[in-house]
Amino acid sequence: MADAKKPRAPFAPWDRRELPGLFSVEESARRVGAYKWCELKLFEALGGWIATVPELDVKMRLGAHCYKHAWHAELWHKRLPELREMNPDRLSVAPNEDMVNFIEALTEPEAPELTIEKLVGVYRVFIPHFISAYTFHLNNTSDITDAPTMRSLRFILQDEFEDWRDGEMLIQSLIETPAEVDRAAAHQARLEKILLAAGGITGSGTIGFNTLKHEGALA
Amino acid sequence: MRKFFPVEDLARDERFNQITMNDRMADQRTAITTDSRPSRAANRIVPSRGDASDAARGLMHGIFVGEIQALEGAGRTCWDFTTGEEAPFELKLDMARQCWDEARHVEISIKLSDWMGSEIGEYAENTVLFQAACSSDPVLRLAGVNRALEGLAIDVFTTMKEFGEVAGDQYLEFAEDWMLADEVTHVKMGSDWLRKITENDPERRKKALDFQSVVDKLFSYGGTRSESQESPIGLARRFRELAGFDDQEIDVIADLSLAALEERKAAVLEAQAAHN
Ligand SMILES: [Fe+2]
Ligand SMILES: [Fe+2]
Repeated sequence: MADAKKPRAPFAPWDRRELPGLFSVEESARRVGAYKWCELKLFEALGGWIATVPELDVKMRLGAHCYKHAWHAELWHKRLPELREMNPDRLSVAPNEDMVNFIEALTEPEAPELTIEKLVGVYRVFIPHFISAYTFHLNNTSDITDAPTMRSLRFILQDEFEDWRDGEMLIQSLIETPAEVDRAAAHQARLEKILLAAGGITGSGTIGFNTLKHEGALA
Repeated sequence: MRKFFPVEDLARDERFNQITMNDRMADQRTAITTDSRPSRAANRIVPSRGDASDAARGLMHGIFVGEIQALEGAGRTCWDFTTGEEAPFELKLDMARQCWDEARHVEISIKLSDWMGSEIGEYAENTVLFQAACSSDPVLRLAGVNRALEGLAIDVFTTMKEFGEVAGDQYLEFAEDWMLADEVTHVKMGSDWLRKITENDPERRKKALDFQSVVDKLFSYGGTRSESQESPIGLARRFRELAGFDDQEIDVIADLSLAALEERKAAVLEAQAAHN
């Protein structure tokens, strides 16, 4: 039997968690606020589109995915006060005007024959950008100080990967002609250009390049 | 995408046929008659009823299209209102949760319809449920859809669950029981939000409750749902209590439904007399 009095190292040899992380409390909160705003805009759009798509399988998928992004928004909403933001609405904002423009362009398609455009915007543009923003945060924050954010990020990333696969398969099943391939690609390019201007889900520096613009972000 | 989506534009594939409430009542296959022979004195959907499986299939298709519209309505409430100003963030979270639940109900309904031997589009789709979800006040939507229509869903699922029980159909009983659990949650969402949002606004609460009773009456379908055995669908008191209805509210719906049944019977007798 082990000696109960024998001192042990507080960090076991296999525990590689480290200080510091890339983000200050303020920067972490700013990012989380942008996540919440983007997840909110996404679940609202998915909800709105349900009535506009004639494909029954797509209709049902959008319903299931709408909830998942609402749950993500809720997790971020609850995280904000823990990051010293007692008025979560203050930080639940778009990172910049270009992101507002992106949401406007994303949610533009309404007609029943535009299911490809609706899905491309979500699953080939928006969700891949969520995956990269969340992965960047997960890989760069301190796994000691920001562990609660990381726990949410892992749950959310699992959803994002699953939904991305669902959406991509729906898109592939809907595209039947070379002209539709072009349609999908053109819409994707149009939206990507707006997101390029926005700099990603949290604005410039979302995945580390050009991070210097934001106060609190380490170079 | 527009805010506020007109019912005529609901997107469907070619299998679906949409009709109005009036067309629906004129359908000969509608589940109620005034046939006074002893065997028809009870219209309740029970296995001993001669046309039970046909009536149950028709009802199941009605549930299926109702679930689609409930899904669409909850989704529109996520989109149509500005978060924080026109609808609280938490209310929208509830509506998104309802989207997921209704999407599963559509899935369950398709499996059940298959099991019962009917096909998508075999019966017409009455779009009145979505119409109740078109109000410009989210509280009215919650009163009309979550409390009135989903309250009806509680009644329908309870009747169908009992039908499955009596008929020894465990597949049906299992599925209805699970949907019933979700619907109780949705009705409760309606009750809770109605009380919370209109706490200091008695006028808005009255407007919402008035709208609910209009929808309740409309959906009493001329007596299709009441506590009388003459109605195909019963009134599920216990589950309604779980969902936040008080005794008095349930009594009002019970009275309204019975009155609708009597009205409908009188109208049919009148039509028959005119015909003879
Ligand atoms: Fe439902
Ligand atoms: Fe429901």
